Amino acid sequence: MRKDSGAVPFDSILVANRGEIAIRVIRACRELGIRSVAVYSDADEGAMHVELADVAERIGPRSASESYLNIGAVVEAARRSRAQAVHPGYGFLSENADFARAVIEAGLVWIGPPPATQEALGNKLAARRAVADAGVPIVPGLLVPLTDDQVPDLSAIGLPAMLKAAAGGGGRGMRRIDRAEDLPDQLQAARREAQSAFGDGTVYLERLVQPARHIEVQLLGDQHGHLATLGERDCSVQRRHQKLVEESPSPAVTPEIRAALYDSARRVAGTVDFHNAATVEFLLDTDGNHHFLEMNTRLQVEHGVTELVTGLDIVAWQIQIAAGEELPDALLEPELHGHAVEVRIYAEDPWNDFRPLAGSVTTWRPPQGPGVRMDGAVREGLQLTPEYDPLLGKLMVHAADRPAMVARLRRALDEMLIGGLQTDLGFHRWLVDQPSFASGDYHTGLIVVEWGSGPELAHDLAEMAAAAATAARASASTRPSAASATTGTATTSAWAAAARREALRR
Amino acid sequence: MSELHVEIDGRGVDVPQGWRLAWVDRLAGIARLDNGERSELVVVEGQGTAWHVNLRGRRIGVQVRTRREQLLAEAEVASRSHGGPIEVKATLPGLVVAIETEVGAEVEEGARLLTIEAMKMQNEVRAPRAGRVVELAVEAGRTVATGALLLRLE
Repeated sequence: MRKDSGAVPFDSILVANRGEIAIRVIRACRELGIRSVAVYSDADEGAMHVELADVAERIGPRSASESYLNIGAVVEAARRSRAQAVHPGYGFLSENADFARAVIEAGLVWIGPPPATQEALGNKLAARRAVADAGVPIVPGLLVPLTDDQVPDLSAIGLPAMLKAAAGGGGRGMRRIDRAEDLPDQLQAARREAQSAFGDGTVYLERLVQPARHIEVQLLGDQHGHLATLGERDCSVQRRHQKLVEESPSPAVTPEIRAALYDSARRVAGTVDFHNAATVEFLLDTDGNHHFLEMNTRLQVEHGVTELVTGLDIVAWQIQIAAGEELPDALLEPELHGHAVEVRIYAEDPWNDFRPLAGSVTTWRPPQGPGVRMDGAVREGLQLTPEYDPLLGKLMVHAADRPAMVARLRRALDEMLIGGLQTDLGFHRWLVDQPSFASGDYHTGLIVVEWGSGPELAHDLAEMAAAAATAARASASTRPSAASATTGTATTSAWAAAARREALRR
Repeated sequence: MSELHVEIDGRGVDVPQGWRLAWVDRLAGIARLDNGERSELVVVEGQGTAWHVNLRGRRIGVQVRTRREQLLAEAEVASRSHGGPIEVKATLPGLVVAIETEVGAEVEEGARLLTIEAMKMQNEVRAPRAGRVVELAVEAGRTVATGALLLRLE
């Protein structure tokens, strides 16, 4: 901890995660002078987070359930490495109250909201009831679980509607209902998915608010009753109900709407005993009315855009709050400076329903320069395994205003070079040129409505690819050291002949 | 140019004249492609006839074949299109969470065969055509890579 912070409860943190978020926490530890302990599965022995931490502990085989999700193994690693606190990152065990309790019972400091709070908000249905009681508008729909034999009054809820898992989050166990007769089948499917993902098949039904924007408020709360509202993030660019692009501030949020969002977010946090970091998610309809979705009791993937517009280090504050520090008054409602955006670089194919891909990243050249931040965990040669999330990195840019942000994002994407597998980089390059994104006037249906299955390969791009591949083959087969090759009549005979020679050798 | 046959997604593409490919980092496959009017950084990977060009974030598969290689490729396609058993392969990497058929089962086209969980989604693998399951190559709980054999239908 900072040397001036008096009695310090810990000077060593175990980071119970992998990938870019483990690195993010390790970096915060280094800046605070805290010793960092990484954990890794057999698949991650040479991973970047292992390299960057002060110490690394093996916690099990490749499969997440036997390693990063193994509470006993992680707590044992903390004991072995004599860590004094645990930061869970996001995903894996970050919202698992049993894990938080195990950490606390082992005599360690838990860097996150209290386990009872996680439990109270982890059940989305119970949270809906509590939040509605606190006077916060919720998405219209059921307040009780859906049973198999009882047909809900769909006319009261409205169609289309959304089936959701009570224990859910992150888009899992969600099914869209367009017609009443689809309900029984979709109910079974949603239940199965929820049971397998969360071990709890309880589902409920709420109206599908659309068109809508997905807006969330970042909260930090200390252990002395101070609550900071750190602006909003607009996460409306989604596929499979999962975020792909996040910006702050939201182009749709006026100062009046922001004040109303802050008020609701405070009320939601007030339903539980909250401290540390959390995010309250809302849908914002076209009339500017917001509806509570859920509160996530952990660090979010997209916390970086809030850091860029507030100038705060959210991860460092999580650590300082867990150490008992107070949030100064000046930080409780900070001014937002400029405009920031994050695009998530995933190993998935946007031209094939954003399907995740395995493979290796042979080329990885992230952009640099003014206003660019890359949080990644990729080195050239990285082999992706299907066991874990295919997030390669988060490209963030920050600029004085939104038009400058869009221009900077386009420039940064132009600099980014990836080889070895398809990623969603091509989607992001398409997105920055869309009038809806450039103007800020978009909603959660953007990918389904505007992208669909992606644009066909334009004729000029196909020709350029053909020229590049032909020239590459020519330069490969003439001289291995050739610096360049040209398509066209002047050199045709030489390298067509070379290609022929090469073909005969094979 | 007439000596080389170029295909993208199975369709022939004429190679335009006058493009120059200059390697920036040969090992990483990074090159600048320009024709005097337009210029673009690309990542080119591959060898022989199979290439990939990463252009504006899109990874484009390009087949570059000599006339002889083209004739061989066409002959191979022709020999492959005669019925017989088919292999059902994983189209995405993930965890096999449920097997919903068994060896010997007669399945209709579109019947659910198994479920693969990937990227927080459950993906149902369905029969591409009617047939009998003659081999199950995976069991529940196993992770599979893209292209892994799941089962054989006859």
